[in-house]
Amino acid sequence: MKTKSWMILSSLLTLLLIAAGCSGNDGTSGDGGSETEDGKTEISLAGWSSSPEEEKLLKQQLEDFEEENPDITVKHEVIADQYMDVLKTRLVGGEGPDVFYLDAVEAPALIETGVLEPLNSYVDEDFDAGDFEENLIDPFKDEEGEVYGFPKGYSTLGLFYNKEMLDEAGVDVPTNWEELEEAAKELTTEDTVGLGISPEMARNQFIGESGEGDMVVDGKAAFGSEEVVNALQPIVDLRNEHEAAAAPSEMGAESTGEMFGQGRAAMVMEGNWNVPYLNETFPDMEYGVSEIPTFNDSQGTMAFTVSYVMNQASEKKEASWKLISYLTGQEGMKTWTETGLELPARASVAEELGYEDDEIRGPLVAGAEYATAWSDGPNLPTIYNNFDNEFLSAFLGEKSLEEALETGEDVANSEIGE
Amino acid sequence: MERAEAGSYSKVKSKKKRNYTRLLRSIIQGYGFMLPTILVLLVFILGPVLYAVFLSFFDVTLLGGTVLDYTGVDNYLRIMEDSRAKRALVNTALYVGIVVPAQTFLALFLASTLNAGLKGEKIFRIIYFLPTLTSSAVLTLIFMWMYNQNGLINNLLDKVNLPTYNWIGDPNIALYSIMIMNIWATAPLFMVIYLAALQGVPKNLYEAAELDGANVIQRFWHITVPQLRPITSFVVIMGLIGTFQLFDQSYIFSGGSGGPSNSTLTVVLLIYQYAFKSLGTMGYATAIAFILALIILIASILQRVLSKEEQFN
Repeated sequence: MKTKSWMILSSLLTLLLIAAGCSGNDGTSGDGGSETEDGKTEISLAGWSSSPEEEKLLKQQLEDFEEENPDITVKHEVIADQYMDVLKTRLVGGEGPDVFYLDAVEAPALIETGVLEPLNSYVDEDFDAGDFEENLIDPFKDEEGEVYGFPKGYSTLGLFYNKEMLDEAGVDVPTNWEELEEAAKELTTEDTVGLGISPEMARNQFIGESGEGDMVVDGKAAFGSEEVVNALQPIVDLRNEHEAAAAPSEMGAESTGEMFGQGRAAMVMEGNWNVPYLNETFPDMEYGVSEIPTFNDSQGTMAFTVSYVMNQASEKKEASWKLISYLTGQEGMKTWTETGLELPARASVAEELGYEDDEIRGPLVAGAEYATAWSDGPNLPTIYNNFDNEFLSAFLGEKSLEEALETGEDVANSEIGE
Repeated sequence: MERAEAGSYSKVKSKKKRNYTRLLRSIIQGYGFMLPTILVLLVFILGPVLYAVFLSFFDVTLLGGTVLDYTGVDNYLRIMEDSRAKRALVNTALYVGIVVPAQTFLALFLASTLNAGLKGEKIFRIIYFLPTLTSSAVLTLIFMWMYNQNGLINNLLDKVNLPTYNWIGDPNIALYSIMIMNIWATAPLFMVIYLAALQGVPKNLYEAAELDGANVIQRFWHITVPQLRPITSFVVIMGLIGTFQLFDQSYIFSGGSGGPSNSTLTVVLLIYQYAFKSLGTMGYATAIAFILALIILIASILQRVLSKEEQFN
């Protein structure tokens, strides 16, 4: 009898323990931690890390920041994979970091949900928000002009060309599409295509919009229009009619940058990130960079930017703002962009670092002014997913471009709904 | 008289009561012991399943304050109009239709060769079984290297003058690449099950057939296959359940997009995309998940009914 009641007691105890394990958090930012023992405020900063160099630079920035602000410590967390999935889940669960990276393409959707802290009221004269390139900051604004994030840097696309191959074929660096087309045909050999193309909306939106058409109208897909199809048709023709272009997957490569490095493409449209990649992986390669050739007489390129944003549920907003304003401020941005990992989003820093005159980065910096920022309303992820799927079939010659894009547009819009 | 009756009545009552408390105590005791397991099941399995079914009738917004909007069966109706959902269903059906028969047959074939009593049987058993021990994510990554345009497989094909393929990038091929990989990886597991069952087939049946002049192939079709029918039924059902849930391979293959051109988009991958990639479609994702569960249930029941009918013939 005694043992029995003891057993009941022990099983009840187990239950209690489980229940205790299940409850717990009160729903506010948890592992961000509050004040540490010595009275310092600890804030959490989450981001991804694309290279060891990036991590090193950020560490440098954070050390400088903590030196300037001895009452704040920053806990840096790297989310290795599926950044947005992890981040959204943590935000839903009330475990979001205080400050985090946010890609411009995801920004409008997240701003709409109200999980981001509006930053206008924090900005003061010293911060000088007018210093940022206008089209880099636009994706992080809502309709009322409230700003939710400040870019840490950006990259644009430029035309990377293999000097050796161009010399051999006796071709000049093309400045418009007609020249590019001719050059690509000349440069194509048995193992090499003239132009490596990433058949994705992220890389080709500015071409699609170089005519009269817009690929996204009022948050809905509109890339099936005649204007967009006509603007993109030459790209598809370059592969299917002239056999002078190819996608990375056709060549067993991961990206156009890899195609270029391996000598499988004589020209590619790649970004700033490609420079350290080429220097490290293919150090012997002789290449040049120029601005993207004009399409339909209009100059264009894409701009990719990532901002620092603040969690609306953060309990340490003052300290968080201090961190953001340091990281995106003149001093912090200089540390960040000095090695050329990203280009500085502030005009003053760009000037100070002299990238405009740089042989490799000059053309990329020049693009910032006329670039199409890779961000277009909250539904862009759905829109570009459908575009990419359909554009690839057209690019590979399985469907006509018109048919493919019309289907893609319909599917995207039915997914978006009202 | 009355008092005596009343006395015996209360006695009975107290006996009943004692029985009742004993029963109650044993119930408490029994469930007390099971409590940890029951709780785990409720919290991590049954609860989420029921909650998912519940969510499938709502429009769910999670970010920025949870909002549930009751929409009735709208989420289910939406599946009918969703061309990506249709594509995912077609892809999955094609995948199931090819992989399940192929891996079942291959497993049976491998098992019978191993059971034939050849030399080095044990070594072959180990070699055959190795793929099953490899994690499917690692396996997919290795296969992606081999499938590369300039990879091992294309090189081998080229050497023997066979046509090469763009295994990963061609929308017409990509799904078949995953099929080949998966058949290779799962068949050995079922092979082991078949192998165990083969040991139980009476030897005298083979001897009798041999005396009657039946050759190897006849013995296989007329003795081995019918004797293994219950095992085949199990293998097919497990295969159905596993293949309908194809996710990790196509996820890694396409980097989560289901590309090229939706050719590797499976139902579970679509559920994942709606649940975690796009905002505010969690309810719709749970509706698709529920439909997938129904499809698997129906397929399993059909399979059972069909194999039972055969047995009665």
